[in-house]
Amino acid sequence: MISVKHLVKRYDSGSRTAPAVNDVSFHIEQGQVAGFVGPNGAGKSTTLRILAGFVAPTSGSVTIAGFDVERQSLQARQQLGYMPESSALYPEMRVNEYLRFRAELKQVPRAKRRAAVSEALDAAGISDVADACIKHLSKGYKQRVCLADALVARPPVLILDEPTSGLDPNQIREMRDVIRGLGQNHTVVISTHVLSEVEAMCNRVLLIAKGKLVAESAVHELAKKRRATGVAFVVRGDVAASVGAVQAALGRAACAPTVHVPSPREGRPDDGVHEIRCAWTHEPERDRQNLADPQAQTQTLTSTTLSDDEASQRATEQAVQALVRAGCAVRAVRSLHDSLEDVFAQLTEVGHRETENRE
Amino acid sequence: MMQSFWPIYKREIFVFFVTPLAWVLAAVFMIVQGMHFVVIVQYFLGIHDAGADQTPVQAFFGSTVLLYLIMFLLVPAMTMRLLAEERRTGTLETLLTAPTSYSAVVLAKYASVLTTYVAMWIPTVLYMVILGRNIDIDWQVVGAAYLGIACVGAGYLAVGVLMSAITDSQFVALVLTALVMVGLFVLGVGEFTAREGSWVQAFCSHVSVWAHMSHFASGIVDLRAIVFYASLVVTSLFASVRVLEAQRWGG
Repeated sequence: MISVKHLVKRYDSGSRTAPAVNDVSFHIEQGQVAGFVGPNGAGKSTTLRILAGFVAPTSGSVTIAGFDVERQSLQARQQLGYMPESSALYPEMRVNEYLRFRAELKQVPRAKRRAAVSEALDAAGISDVADACIKHLSKGYKQRVCLADALVARPPVLILDEPTSGLDPNQIREMRDVIRGLGQNHTVVISTHVLSEVEAMCNRVLLIAKGKLVAESAVHELAKKRRATGVAFVVRGDVAASVGAVQAALGRAACAPTVHVPSPREGRPDDGVHEIRCAWTHEPERDRQNLADPQAQTQTLTSTTLSDDEASQRATEQAVQALVRAGCAVRAVRSLHDSLEDVFAQLTEVGHRETENRE
Repeated sequence: MMQSFWPIYKREIFVFFVTPLAWVLAAVFMIVQGMHFVVIVQYFLGIHDAGADQTPVQAFFGSTVLLYLIMFLLVPAMTMRLLAEERRTGTLETLLTAPTSYSAVVLAKYASVLTTYVAMWIPTVLYMVILGRNIDIDWQVVGAAYLGIACVGAGYLAVGVLMSAITDSQFVALVLTALVMVGLFVLGVGEFTAREGSWVQAFCSHVSVWAHMSHFASGIVDLRAIVFYASLVVTSLFASVRVLEAQRWGG
């Protein structure tokens, strides 16, 4: 549905600064919800603006539903609904006036315009402010007016630049629900710098850093990428005995356990309940080599650290057995994982190192 | 490509009349024109002389500096926001990512200000009717004079569109447009100061809005003047489209 090949965008031609978008290629199938993730200034907005035809690429090609955005610009733009990051609107118009204007601009036939507008209002959840003047709306509503605008001509492709930025947590949840729903009838590309958002809305993720695509995968593969970082036991019994047991069982697999004994101030009676946290000692060198393979420009996230996971699970079993043998009661065992943000940081750092190596 | 002309044109007209600026401009325009008319009528009542060297119609359309002053005030204020505001607020991005063309955007915006400009002049026809009730006036001369007003306005408004395209500050657009208009006016005055018969004088009289209007107001439809303003319109609008296109590359 969307195909991008060797896309480069350089803002100041001739200058020595790195291009905003540097040789990015990807392909998004019909019906996918793809999330563009990267730190601020990574080139997400520029890429999306090129997809929407607002910015011209320096080189490379983009096709939307088979239409080249440069050579068949008009047809390509007819295929897409674009919501810019700025959520810029005409403040002096009313919401339904604005959407009628946009529908006419997008060549929705006159007879279908009214229905198209009310459908878009419903889909974006803003029917209640249809008669309100845009300048009186809150940021969240303005954002949803932009979304309604993107939807009004029922385009097969939606490009939404940071649809949740600047919203409060409730609005973010609503926006996520709306976007997840859109995935059923549209091919959607969103950008964000919040990874958990991608997990909540998308089924495909594209990680971009410093203008380069550093990773591309299905979202469930990204989740696998979250390493087990450690394990926590909640134990009742003697602290010294339990720590000794854990240490003996885990040996070199984990760093020194840290003990947290809840104080009476936290509302817990001093009944000997405490928490022991251990972090796994990973072998970072091997991991990094895996990721920073100079042959692979775009990392696929399929190479999970499965062996590590198995080893850590076995070590956990042993630790529980040792605790029981030492006469401690184990109340809970919790495995600690990398947050998605950690995965993101790892991958973008790898991306940075890669570009530095090349320079 | 041009399907998007009509919605943009309608929106521009709508916006112009829901913002207070339009009504302020229209009011100032009508007040100045009314005063202008009163002054001229009183002047002609005072001379009691059939041998006056010009008619009230000529005086109204360009023999006093008031006409140009109101144009300098009106035109830049009408055109300044057209593209500059859209770029500043970011709505240009939504506009240009819709299936529309650069030329449709520029033409629609230009057509909307031209329509508004013409609409502002329409009430002044009443002055001509009042004059016509009291003295003999030649309606063909009046027609030529309005043609001149339309030509000059069309030219100036096109310059204003271009200035609004090259900057994202409305104020800069206003100042640049006014500068070009005043510059053209001053060049035209050069007609009277340059050496008789020199190419400088010929050039100055060719671009002189004062000379153009005094011809039109005497009933002379000067094709050279029409060509001059038509080329000003075409060049400015073409340049505006190219500026918008160039901004795609610069981002």
